[in-house]
Amino acid sequence: MKLQLDEYAYLNTPLHRWDPRYKLISFMVLIFAFSFVHSLYLLPGMVAVSGTLYIVSSLPLSFLLARLRLPGFFLLMMAVLLPFLSGQNALFYLGPLAVKQEGCLDLLLISVKFLCILTLVIILFGTTPFLTNIKAMRALGLSSILADMILFSYRYLYDIGDKLKTMETAMKLRGFLRRNLKSLGTLASLAGTILVRSYEQSDRVYKAMILRGYGQAGGTRSGPRRDEFQAYPRDLAGLLVLVFIAVAFVVAEICLR
Amino acid sequence: MHIPDGVLPTAVCLGGYATAGAATWFSLRKISQKENPREGIPKASLLTAAFLVASWIHIPVPPASVHLVLNGLLGVVLGYYAFPAILIGLFFQAVMFQHGGLTTLGVNATVMGVPALLAYYLFRLRNIFGKDNRVGTGLFAFLAGAGGIGLAAVTVFVLLVTTIPAHMDVEAERASIYALTLAHIPVMIIEGVFTAVLALFLQRVKPELLEGDS
Repeated sequence: MKLQLDEYAYLNTPLHRWDPRYKLISFMVLIFAFSFVHSLYLLPGMVAVSGTLYIVSSLPLSFLLARLRLPGFFLLMMAVLLPFLSGQNALFYLGPLAVKQEGCLDLLLISVKFLCILTLVIILFGTTPFLTNIKAMRALGLSSILADMILFSYRYLYDIGDKLKTMETAMKLRGFLRRNLKSLGTLASLAGTILVRSYEQSDRVYKAMILRGYGQAGGTRSGPRRDEFQAYPRDLAGLLVLVFIAVAFVVAEICLR
Repeated sequence: MHIPDGVLPTAVCLGGYATAGAATWFSLRKISQKENPREGIPKASLLTAAFLVASWIHIPVPPASVHLVLNGLLGVVLGYYAFPAILIGLFFQAVMFQHGGLTTLGVNATVMGVPALLAYYLFRLRNIFGKDNRVGTGLFAFLAGAGGIGLAAVTVFVLLVTTIPAHMDVEAERASIYALTLAHIPVMIIEGVFTAVLALFLQRVKPELLEGDS
């Protein structure tokens, strides 16, 4: 099973070299500023900012497109519903259904915001190894329990995903066909087996971990080492630039309302 | 079911983070009260990953197939770890599969996680019948599974319909919420039955998994 999010995290661009803590803060501020935008006049600016950042990141376009497939369904659902449901002014008629102007504008706003924010998220997590991002979150004050849970889940997601695949293949080889709801019981047992196996494995993992000092003072509780991240003036400059852009969007939005 | 980025107003997203923060704080406080709070972490994490994987299983509903959300089941099995588990599961889904979003993470976690905690409390009522009673386990697991997804679905629809189409009139909004909720009743039943069958399976094979406090 491939879930490679940080496939291109080892390239050498200014975005890749940026201190992950500063990058995380800057991108989150920009993402929230984008979500604040409601004015259609600001959409070209949002596209320009996220497009420029994507070009600077040197991530291939195919990487972005491949990740748009799943959320594309949501956009499709919106495209089917919004132009017909929202608004009063009919633009044109499709048989008995009126395509409304306000609905089309709502759709445009939601789609562009969605695509720009998605691009920023992909840049954020595509230009830093996932584990480094978690360490950066920990350094920024994420609870140690949550950080540990994220790291463990990330480690075992691959493992358990492979187990599911093996079990499904085994079921198919024994003639199991998921045709209708009668197979619900078998599928519930499949999910149950995954849970039981994971539970038993977690017991072994925990015992192995306490033998290695997990949970002792000075261990994971103390968080990442001090020298794990080192910020330079250029990291701070990057943060200031993106925060400035974010503030500009928020101010422009307030002025245009 | 997960609301993506760019759809909800910022105030709702920030409100979502506030409620998710409060629920996480409540859950972590309950977890910290245990004798050894770190003991449950590997178990809860592996089960978080297992739940995420289990939600990939396709359930055939002719002519299509659906994925289950399993938030009620998460509450049943993980107890107070359910909320952090859902938060982490949604975080993975947002950054790895672009399903849901980072700005809406708080809203999605609240919408899925609070019903999971309620499902946990609901499932504990099975003790009225006795822990080994299969009818009680099956019945309350069904209610927890169906209620978990049902509550989450209604909340999502109310949020979406009332916040997205700014130009929709009140009557149309109400009708949409009713229609979407009615359309979800079969999904609630499937999720409830799946949770009940799975809970009975666990009671037979590994009853300690249903203890709730992991």
